[in-house]
Order: sequence, then structure tokens, then C-alpha cells
Amino acid sequence: MPAAVRHAGWTRATTFTVLGIAFSYALSLGARAGLGYDPVLDGEAVLQISLVTVPFFFLVGLGLFDYWGYYMSGRPTRPEDHSGHGAKSWKSYLYPNTDHKVIGIQYTVLSFFFLFVGGLFAMLIRAELAQPGRQFIDANTYNGVFSVHASILIFLFIIPVFAGLANFVLPLMIGAPDMAFPRLNALSFWLLPIAGVMMLGSFFAPGGSFASGWTAYAPLSDSAPIGQVFFTIGVQFAGASSIATALNFLVTIITMRAPGMSFFRMPLLVWANFSTSLLVVIATPFVAASQFFVLLDRALGFNFFDHGQGGDVLMYQHVFWFYSHPAVYIMMLPGFGIISEVLAVKSRKPIFGYRMMAFSLLAIVALGFTVWAHHMFVSGMQNWIRVPMMITTAIIAVPTGIKIFSWLATLWRGVLRLDTPMLFALGFLTMFTLGGISGVMLAMIPITIHVSDTYFIVAHIHYVLFGGSLFTIFAGVYYWFPKMTGRMYDERLGKLHFWLTFIFFNATFAPMHLIGLDGMPRRVADYADKYAGWNLAISLASFGLGLSTLIFAYNIIASWRGGPRAVGNPWRGLTLEWQVSSPPPVFNFDAIPTVVGGPYEYGVPGAVHGVFADQPPPVVAAGAPAAKTPTDE
Amino acid sequence: MEAAAIHAEHAHHHGPPEANRSSRVEPQLLGMLLFIISEVMVFGAFFTAYFFIRVVNGDQWFPFNGDELPKLVAGVNTAILLSSSLTLHWAQTSAKNGNRFGLKAGMLTTFLLGFTFLFIQINEYIHIGFAPHDHAQGSIFYGLTGLHGEHVFIGLTLLAIVTVRAFRGHFTPEHHGGVEIPGIYWHFVDVMWIVVYTTIYIV
Repeated sequence: MPAAVRHAGWTRATTFTVLGIAFSYALSLGARAGLGYDPVLDGEAVLQISLVTVPFFFLVGLGLFDYWGYYMSGRPTRPEDHSGHGAKSWKSYLYPNTDHKVIGIQYTVLSFFFLFVGGLFAMLIRAELAQPGRQFIDANTYNGVFSVHASILIFLFIIPVFAGLANFVLPLMIGAPDMAFPRLNALSFWLLPIAGVMMLGSFFAPGGSFASGWTAYAPLSDSAPIGQVFFTIGVQFAGASSIATALNFLVTIITMRAPGMSFFRMPLLVWANFSTSLLVVIATPFVAASQFFVLLDRALGFNFFDHGQGGDVLMYQHVFWFYSHPAVYIMMLPGFGIISEVLAVKSRKPIFGYRMMAFSLLAIVALGFTVWAHHMFVSGMQNWIRVPMMITTAIIAVPTGIKIFSWLATLWRGVLRLDTPMLFALGFLTMFTLGGISGVMLAMIPITIHVSDTYFIVAHIHYVLFGGSLFTIFAGVYYWFPKMTGRMYDERLGKLHFWLTFIFFNATFAPMHLIGLDGMPRRVADYADKYAGWNLAISLASFGLGLSTLIFAYNIIASWRGGPRAVGNPWRGLTLEWQVSSPPPVFNFDAIPTVVGGPYEYGVPGAVHGVFADQPPPVVAAGAPAAKTPTDE
Repeated sequence: MEAAAIHAEHAHHHGPPEANRSSRVEPQLLGMLLFIISEVMVFGAFFTAYFFIRVVNGDQWFPFNGDELPKLVAGVNTAILLSSSLTLHWAQTSAKNGNRFGLKAGMLTTFLLGFTFLFIQINEYIHIGFAPHDHAQGSIFYGLTGLHGEHVFIGLTLLAIVTVRAFRGHFTPEHHGGVEIPGIYWHFVDVMWIVVYTTIYIV
């Protein structure tokens, strides 16, 4: 056997993928012949088996199970020589790597690729809706496009991009040399491209892509064409990836903090990822199970959702939302953490109410499990569930409100520095508050009954996921860009990006509240003529929003290639990740620092967060101002 | 990216600093416990389906439509699985005390008991007389017991690894985490079976 096939890598991965497809054919043919089915060769059966098995063949080929394979067979494992750490060139990012910094960049870049793909789908949706009637795509394709748009952006952008940023920053912040389980970390990254290929690949399936929305309600998903299976199985891989990462974060945070870093000296980003990971570990198995039910119904003829056979269709919605409501906090809490970092540093003030900020995160985790049925007010479920769910939904606004007011109090009389990360943080504060208010409106049963399945819902979800989550992601990417790449981004382009995004975002989504209240239904390819004016305006604004993202892409790519070198601590931050060079050393720290104070003591004379035994001299680029050490504050 | 590359060239070639241990809990143990929490939630979702079909819909449970569940056979099978937890405990204690024979014999017995459980379970499927597509009750029966069977299979894989390594003499009284942590998973599989057996067969 040639060496390229024997050694882990892309050649072996390709070979194993082909083997996996052959295995799926053999298994399907063997099983159908053995059980006496006719015809023996069934394309859908082979496809469903391939979707489950081929990814594992691919991962084995890529070498992600090599170490465990050695361990399992009882052979001696190769001792870790740390040669896998760090990236030697851009090609290193195309191979499995156990360094949390490399994995963080892999995660972030791949997620942004999916942001652009999902954004292109959004452009297609708005192009179709620019005028009443049919423009470019038929109704069925339209259903597929909005379903893939939502699924890609939720499962392959927002959830993993937060995991990516935290992967890079979190071990540095708590003074750890790496994550607790580096090989599991690599595996959880490589599950993502598999999920992405499946969701996008569904367009090539006979009968088109999955078209039942990202919620994939049964019994529609039970009877939809085969493209649905690409979602059903793709979500399993995305879900497994996020459970593995969450487990890794929790163990890392609990067992690998630097000496002196008690729970109440942890930066709030660490708290936010701790809370998010709890949600993921507890809730994500439910979405896995809901998709198992659909898969069993489809592939093996189970009757979970067949009412005629005693099944229960509402059960799908209960199980699905028991995950997917906590999932909206999975998509928001890490952003809360980013905002806390940015606001404290950029207003040079300690976070107001640090402990309440931490406790409110935990309160959201707990309350997040008690509100799921507010997505089902018009589903026909038992009426008595509705009022308790309305009350808990209104209550969950309280911890969120605590956070908003604490951020405002942090800004109060601060020395604000309105650069790009700060602008996005302030944009988040305003937009997320608007989205939160429409959320409380939607908690009220009568309002939900009135606006259910209208554009009001579309407006609400985009105010919280775009104006909320995406603004925090932009803030985080600009904020840690110098740390991750060792380069500075272009501030002028960054500000331009913010203002265009902010203006076109509101021009796109604010009018949706109005046409929603007026009754325009969501998830429909056509609409009544009376909505034509607003829809044209929304479509034009959305194209502007799409174009503004290109400025971001240009800024990031150009700055990464040739931006000015970044100093170790360009924002004069106190948290540990800013005390090392940019980009950080391969092993993060020469010696683990000791933590002696809180992370946000900005403006407090003599306040120190971390003490380094042998402080490395800060890397200073020519022409850039030297970074002040924290004690200069 | 280039900057990262340049930096890697100049890096020190000693390993990373030893991480500070901020908790007395072993990372592997904590990881396994968290994984078990998420496993419990998968079972929770299947029990939700069970709850909806049996309680919310108020459908009739077995014996139903002429289909019955073999309580006695499954009861014997339960005893087999529970005894495997005891032999596993024997193996773990032996590993701690450096008793090589006890470790090997305990692991082998545990594996064989677990294998017998799975074998009887599959045999039960063949002779039970109804299929998952006959009715929702059948779907839930096969769903929950099949999910558990899948976990028995994963557990057996872990036990097989431990057994192979035990026979190769990889565990010492100081280093027996490789016996402890898969063992926790196996105990979880056993406890979960008691819940499944009680709700599906007995209640």
C-alpha cells in the first residue's frame, strides 16, 4: 500500500470515503437480500446508510481516531511530542490539529464561510420576495432555500462560531496551556464540515432539499422527499460536535484554572461559556432524539408520529422545543460574555454588578428549561400549559434585564472609546433590547395568537439573532482579531462596516414588524399585492446589508495578509489572554500565571489581575504605540 | 496566518507548562459524568415519547392487541445484567489491590454477562411477535429497549478494550483509571436498564 494511503491525511480520507460508500452498498444489498425485500437495490436505503456511516469512514481516514485506535487495540500509544501544536503554514489548518488556537481559527473561519453561504440564501429569498408573484424560484425551491438558510446559520454559524472564539480565547483567559481533551476538541471541529456538506448537499437529492423549515415539524418531515434525511442526519453531527465541545469547555473550566482564579475571578466570557455548555450538555440530546424519531419513522417504519397508529405529532414539538428554546440561549449567552469583555475594556470601568452578571447567566440556564411551550401556543396543545409558560417566559426577561442594566451602568461615566468592537457592542445593546421587547410581547398569549406565523416573528428572530448574536460575533471578531492573527484590522473600514450594517439591518428588519402585524405570512413564496411596497424596500435594504458584509470580508482578509503587526495588548486589557504576545506563543505560557485579583478592575489604582513569574517583553511593532502594562492604569 | 507561522518557527521546543489543577476531580472522571448526563437526557427524550403515547394519549399498554411482553425472560435478563455490575466491581477492586487474576477474571465475566444480556435481548425481539411498525406501542417498546441495547453495545465495546488491556497487563494499582472510567459507564447502563425494565415491562 502506498504511504499516502497508509498515513493519516486527505488521501487516506478519500480512500476511506470510497470504502464507506462501498460498505453502505454492501450492507444495504446484503440486508435487503437476506430479508427478502424487492427490489434488492434501493437508492434511498443506500443513501440513508451512507449518510450515517461514510462520515465515520472519512474521519478514520483523516486520522482522528488513530490515537484511540492504538489505545483500544491495547498497543502502546505514541507519547505526545507536542509536534502537533501550532500552525506551520496555512496548510496546517486543513489537517486535524490538537492545538486549541489552531482549532479556534479553523472553527471561526469555517463558520464564517457558512455565514456567507447562508447570507447568499438570504439574498435569494429577498430577490424572490422583491415583488409579488414568481421571480426566480418556484415555491418548493423557496421552501428549501429558507429551510437551508436557517439551518446553516443556526447549526453551522452561530453555535460553532461562539465555540470557535471561545476555543481560542478561553484557555488563555483561565491560564491553561490547552483544552482538557485536545483530541476530542479536534474531533468536534471535524464533525462540522460533515454537517455542512450534508445540509448543502441536500439540494442535489431527488425531490430537492429539505423544505420543512429548520424546525422540521413532524409529520411533514416524516413524509417529505429524501432531502429531509440530509437535515435529520446532518443535525446529529452538528449536535454531537457541540456536545463534545461543551463537555470539553466544562472540564477545562472546572479543572484547569490558573492558581488563584476562583470562580468569581473568572472573566464573564468564561462564565458565559460555562453556562452555555451546561445548556448544551443537558438540552442538545433532545434535538438528537427528535431527529432519531423522524429517522426511525422514515427508515424503519416506526409510528412515533403516525396518529392513526397511536403516535403523537405534538410530541415532536415538545421534544424539539425542549432543546430549541434553550438553543436560543446557546446562541446568545456566549455573546453576552463577549459584550461584557468589550464594554469593560472600552469604557475603562469595572463591570457593574459582576456577581449578578454571573448569577443572571445561571438563572437564564435554569429558566431556559421552563419556557419551551411558548413556541406552541397555537399548536393545539392542552390550554392549561399556556399560562404557566407565558409567566415563565415573562420572568426570563428579568435576568436578561439585569444584564442590560448592568451594562448600561458599566458605561455610565466611563471613558468610552468608540472603535469598531465598541460600536458593535453598543449596536448590540440597542438592537437586542428591541428584539427582547418584541420577545416579551410574543410571550403574551393573545399577541402570539394574532401574529403567529407572520413576519412579526421573522422580525423578532432577526433582531435577536442578527442584531443580537451576530453583532456580538462581529464585536468579538474585531476585538480578538489582533490576538488571533497578530495583525491589526483597518479601523476606518471597520467603522464603515458597522454603520452600513446598523443602518441596513434596521431598514431590512424594522418594517417586517409592521407588515407582520398587518398579517403577511412567513415561509410563503408569494404574498398579497398590498405588501408589495414594503417588500421592495426591504429587499433593497437587504442587498445593502449583504454588500456591507463584503467590506468585513475584505477588511479581515487584507488585514490578515498585510495589516500592521499587533502589539500584545492593544486594548490595555487586564484579562490573561492580553498579557501574552499576539499571536500567543505555541504553548500559551512559559509558566502558568497566578491570579491575584478580579478581571475588570479598570480605573482602580494598583489593581492587578494576573502575575507572571517571568513577564516576557511585549512584542512591539514599529510605528505602533507601546502597550501600557496594566499597572499603569 | 503568516504571523502565526513565523511565530511557530521561533517557538521554544520544550513542551507546554503543566496545567494547574484547580479541582480535585479527575478530568476524565468529570468528562464521563457530564457525558452520562447527556446520555440520561437522550433517554429522557425517549421517555417523553413514551409518556405522550401512554399517558397523554391514554393509549392502552401491553398486553394489547394480543401482543404481550415476556416479563419473566426480561426479568432473568435483568438479573444477568445486574450481576455483571457486581463482577465489574470485583474487577475494579482487584485492579486497585493489584490482584491481576481478579482483574482479568472479573473483566472477562462482566463482558460475557453483558454479551449474554444482548444475545437474549435480540432473541426476545425475534420471538416477541410484533414489529415496530405495527403500532406506536411497538415503536416505543423497540425504541427504548433498542436505545438501551445500543448503549449495552457501546458499553461492551469499552469493556472489550479494558479486558484486552487487562490481559496485556496495562493496569497497575497506581494507574487503573482505564478500568474505573469505562466502569462508571457500565454501571450507568445497568441503572438505566432498571428504569427501562420497570417502566416498559412492569408498570
